[in-house]
Amino acid sequence: MAGSGRDERAWVRRAQAGSQSDFEALFRAHWGPAYRAAFLVVRDAAAAEDIAQEAFLAAVRALDRFDRGRPFGPWLHRIVVNRAIDWARARALRPEAEAVDTPAPARPERDEELLRELGRLSPEHRAVIVLRYLLEYTPGEIAELLELPRGTVNSRLRRGLDALKEQLQ
Amino acid sequence: MKFEAPDERAAEDRAWTVVRRAYAEREPVAWPRRHARPLVAGALVAAAVAAVLSPPGRSVVHSLRKAVGVQGAQTELFSLPAPGRLLVSGSGGTWIVNRDGSRRRLGSYRDAGFSPHGLFVAATKPSELVAVDPKGKVRWTLPRRSPRFPAWTGSFTDTRIAYLAGGKLHVVAGDGTGDRVLDRATPVAPAWRPGPGFVVAYARGATAIVRDVVSGQVLLRRSSPMRPRKLAWSSDGKLLLVFKPYGTRVYDARGKVVAQDDPSDATFDRDAAFVPGSHGVLFVRAAGDGSNVFRYADGRTIFRGTGDFNQLAFSPDGRWLLVAWPTANQWVFVRQHPRKIVGAARISGQFGGFPRIEGWCCAG
Repeated sequence: MAGSGRDERAWVRRAQAGSQSDFEALFRAHWGPAYRAAFLVVRDAAAAEDIAQEAFLAAVRALDRFDRGRPFGPWLHRIVVNRAIDWARARALRPEAEAVDTPAPARPERDEELLRELGRLSPEHRAVIVLRYLLEYTPGEIAELLELPRGTVNSRLRRGLDALKEQLQ
Repeated sequence: MKFEAPDERAAEDRAWTVVRRAYAEREPVAWPRRHARPLVAGALVAAAVAAVLSPPGRSVVHSLRKAVGVQGAQTELFSLPAPGRLLVSGSGGTWIVNRDGSRRRLGSYRDAGFSPHGLFVAATKPSELVAVDPKGKVRWTLPRRSPRFPAWTGSFTDTRIAYLAGGKLHVVAGDGTGDRVLDRATPVAPAWRPGPGFVVAYARGATAIVRDVVSGQVLLRRSSPMRPRKLAWSSDGKLLLVFKPYGTRVYDARGKVVAQDDPSDATFDRDAAFVPGSHGVLFVRAAGDGSNVFRYADGRTIFRGTGDFNQLAFSPDGRWLLVAWPTANQWVFVRQHPRKIVGAARISGQFGGFPRIEGWCCAG
């Protein structure tokens, strides 16, 4: 879980000053959500790992310039989801580069079905559903993160959920 | 949604090994510099208030500019540190600046671009595209409605100028003949791909398009949520930079993203440029009360200061970087190896307004 806003600001401040343990706290708090979000969009564990890792490397590069008054998570998630969408689009154009089977963790059958059907949506629809229901952003926040009009976010959410519902029935 | 991705813990440990190394190798900003920023910000506010409230406001602003610029800057642009000529445009018109510092006003043009070997300049007026020589003599004109962003490419014998007019991308031969419309386009300067052929990148809405002008074939099309502000090619023509303040992408020939920069909240990029002869990219990032120029590959800061930097340009030999710093009314020339910084002050006074750099052309 991510820390409280106060914890996070303190981690960022001390990480900027050179504290590796605080930077690690920031990394550990945000790795899980970032990696899961990437995986749900790209449906490829290796690619998701690369995308999340690259996002953290971007965070290292931008650390000194990071505005401590702002939350770290939304910024990181924006990078992760945008990169994941780019990757998923590129893969759609290169069918020969299909992902190899990745071992799926044990989970109830219904969840597996849901995730499989989620993978059939377009990357753009997957992204808004992941941001809304995994990372729990509001539609307004998603609109800001992805630089989309709020109406577009709402319609993608609606259409994505309708498609999921139809596929699962 | 409760969910765990495959191999999550192991992936985390692998990533931490890489990220920790990057963190250990970074160069944190020195403590005094970071804490100096609020002081400078305070000075800026105080000076601005004084400028408004007191009659000698102008001198306060002048003092402030002196305070934020490069110390020991030349009081005029006495010379350029590298071979070549600068082309600039602004409210004071379009100017050419020679290596020895001498400058010539070409005319009242909105924007301009050098021909491939710097022998001519394509420029725009509200109702015509114009080709002039470096002395300002007009060679030809082409009447068009509100032309903008002329970009000239080609060899000594065959050249083309791409420009926008009436919401469309036009291409015309270097002698002003054969003008034709290629596509609808958004007001972003088109960029010719270096190398053989005539391949141009332009923006249509939020989409960056690469098109072969001769065959008309679209070679690449990449969309994103925001309109690009700048398009630029690497020197070898293999990479295309699509600059946006909140999310820049660098694409290879197949459209794969090979680099991207997503500024953190409350910060944004003002410009980006390829390092000549390489695939390296420099960014200008505005954050808080300051700006900095940094290398994308490793985040290393090249130059930083208070206020806004708004543009980057490389000398033709690629050794000097020009940072435009309107807050300080300075141009700052930065050489990385060996490190040297040369400032030139009072830029707006010399050009009738702080100008935009249109090109630095043609060494030798």
